[in-house]
Amino acid sequence: MNRILADVVAFGKQYIRSKVGAFFTFVFPILLILLFGSIFGQTGSSSVPLPVQDLDNTAMSERFLSALNNTTFVTISMIPSTVDIAEHIGANSLAVALLIPSGFERDVIDALTTGSSAVNVTLYGDSSRSTFGVVVGVLQAVSDQMSFALAGARPVVGIEIAPVGSPAFRYIDYFLPGIVGMTVMINAMFWMTATCAEYRSRRYFKLLATTTLRKSEWLTSKILWFTLILTASLFVSVAVGIAAFNVQLRIDVLALAFILAGTFLFTSLGMLLGTFVKDAEAASALANAVGFPMMFISGSFFPLESMPAFLQTAARALPLTYLNNGLRDAMVFGNLDSALTNLAVVAVAGAVVFAIASRAMSWKGR
Amino acid sequence: MSAVIETKDLRKTYGDLNAVDGLSLDIREGSIFSLLGPNGAGKTTTVEILEGLRTPTGGTAHVFGTDVSAGYSGIRERVGILPQDFEPFDRLTSMEAVTYWARLFRKGMTRADGKRLLETVNLTSRADVQAIHLSGGEKRKLGFAMSLVGEPELLFLDEPTTGLDPKARRDLWAVIQGLRKEGRTVFLTTHYLDEAERLSDDVGIMHKGKLAARGDPGDIVMRHASRTTIVLGGAGEAGLREVTRRGIAANLEDGDVTVHVSDPAEMKQVLAKLASLDISLKDMYTRRGSLEDAFLALVGARMEEGVLQG
Repeated sequence: MNRILADVVAFGKQYIRSKVGAFFTFVFPILLILLFGSIFGQTGSSSVPLPVQDLDNTAMSERFLSALNNTTFVTISMIPSTVDIAEHIGANSLAVALLIPSGFERDVIDALTTGSSAVNVTLYGDSSRSTFGVVVGVLQAVSDQMSFALAGARPVVGIEIAPVGSPAFRYIDYFLPGIVGMTVMINAMFWMTATCAEYRSRRYFKLLATTTLRKSEWLTSKILWFTLILTASLFVSVAVGIAAFNVQLRIDVLALAFILAGTFLFTSLGMLLGTFVKDAEAASALANAVGFPMMFISGSFFPLESMPAFLQTAARALPLTYLNNGLRDAMVFGNLDSALTNLAVVAVAGAVVFAIASRAMSWKGR
Repeated sequence: MSAVIETKDLRKTYGDLNAVDGLSLDIREGSIFSLLGPNGAGKTTTVEILEGLRTPTGGTAHVFGTDVSAGYSGIRERVGILPQDFEPFDRLTSMEAVTYWARLFRKGMTRADGKRLLETVNLTSRADVQAIHLSGGEKRKLGFAMSLVGEPELLFLDEPTTGLDPKARRDLWAVIQGLRKEGRTVFLTTHYLDEAERLSDDVGIMHKGKLAARGDPGDIVMRHASRTTIVLGGAGEAGLREVTRRGIAANLEDGDVTVHVSDPAEMKQVLAKLASLDISLKDMYTRRGSLEDAFLALVGARMEEGVLQG
């Protein structure tokens, strides 16, 4: 144990002092969280921006806009009444915009008193985009509510919203565990592949073989180090998520178990890849070839369900998928059964890869 | 004294190449043994077999009575090693490196212990400097210090003074001689013949995987380079013409005329002839045969920085 701790301390000092390691463990995930959180932080159950041109500008149009605003599903901004709405939409690349025509109040009163045809507002936008569908639904609901109210009737059927998972589940809540999983993979696998290449090309393995340190002890010390540093990275990432985006995530024993199992798996995979490379360039190329596709199709950034079927099938063969899913089960949904299944997959895969890597790795010359 | 290292008909082949070809050696306890030879002679392969880092193709190798092919775990702590291609860990300081290494040899090391060890190789002033900032010679010294952390009974030093300046070389020689006084056994590989001659009790000259000569450096010189050389310093080509005109076999080496004599009688005769010559000289002296001459006689070429010349 003393030798393992000595190796953890020595390796840890080198890792931190290299600065590259510290960057990918702490700075890189924080940058991704801040960047993606800022870009996608307004999606999910948050409101959709809705620019409105009110050409009527009466108490009735204001009442309609107020009702829209009260739904909290849209955030209204005003388009000046002096501009052409079609040109404005093109010039500002708007996904959706609403026009309240001139004479809106008069026509509504006419419809109520004389029974003339219903008054239309015009919704501009690309019907293939999801925001368009959201706004149509909201407009429909508000129009119905307003019609009932003006006609003196009351609705008998309504809709109650029941969020699933974390009470305020948003994209960032989904995204952050994926970044944690990706950070585990990048640090453990990429670093270990590069470390093995460096230790071979600079004869460190041969040097270590002249000491009493065993190969299994060296491997264990790397797993210990990465578990420590990646646990710290988990806490820092979640702290940044809370501070910047008020994420609703929990770190419990299960989440920590995923860090340990994920580190075990990807450190072992890095060792295995490291047995096939002789220098740093080859290590970088191989780790990138394995790591980058895995990063993008294992659900680190986007839900698997949003990908084509063949990619979803491929993702199920990748270990990072199970780490990401398991971290979300543990940190977001609190789904113990699913989390334990994913944990078992990651741990068993880690044990298999570790056994192969231990046998494949040689410190001595031919 | 008992043999610390013993090999019998040791062989290592790589395809058609016989890197080590039937090497039989026994190194006695408390001695300094130098294995000499040009690059590619098989020295490092031999050492790495004895260190348990390579598996021999044939023959046997025992260290402290243990067959190294069967495992090294029982004797690892008794052996210190400075490999030829040693590189320190870039981001560890000298002090951290020796402390780390000591723990890998199950030894506790305080900062004071580390300082004492670094002082041995004159590296105390660089104790807190990361290895990436050390010079080539300082890195070599650090490697030497790391090989000593386990207070080994047997040390393998593969080209320990390569890259060191003359003073640092002499300092390290003193450390190696000190190790012998403490009763430790040193297995040195070097291509510096003067180093081997100065330090060793026992020398082996290796060439093309085989042991070309073995024994006390003085004995090897006596057996293979017993001639004495008379040197006419700065005599030049004019001097060479004059000497050879008198029927004396001579050579021109870097502007000096050299005449080899085999015994005192021949020397007396040649000196008498030379005394009668009127040639311009800077100085005149005699030089006894050296290990370098013995190497030339055995291998057929001189060696500079590990490379055979001519």
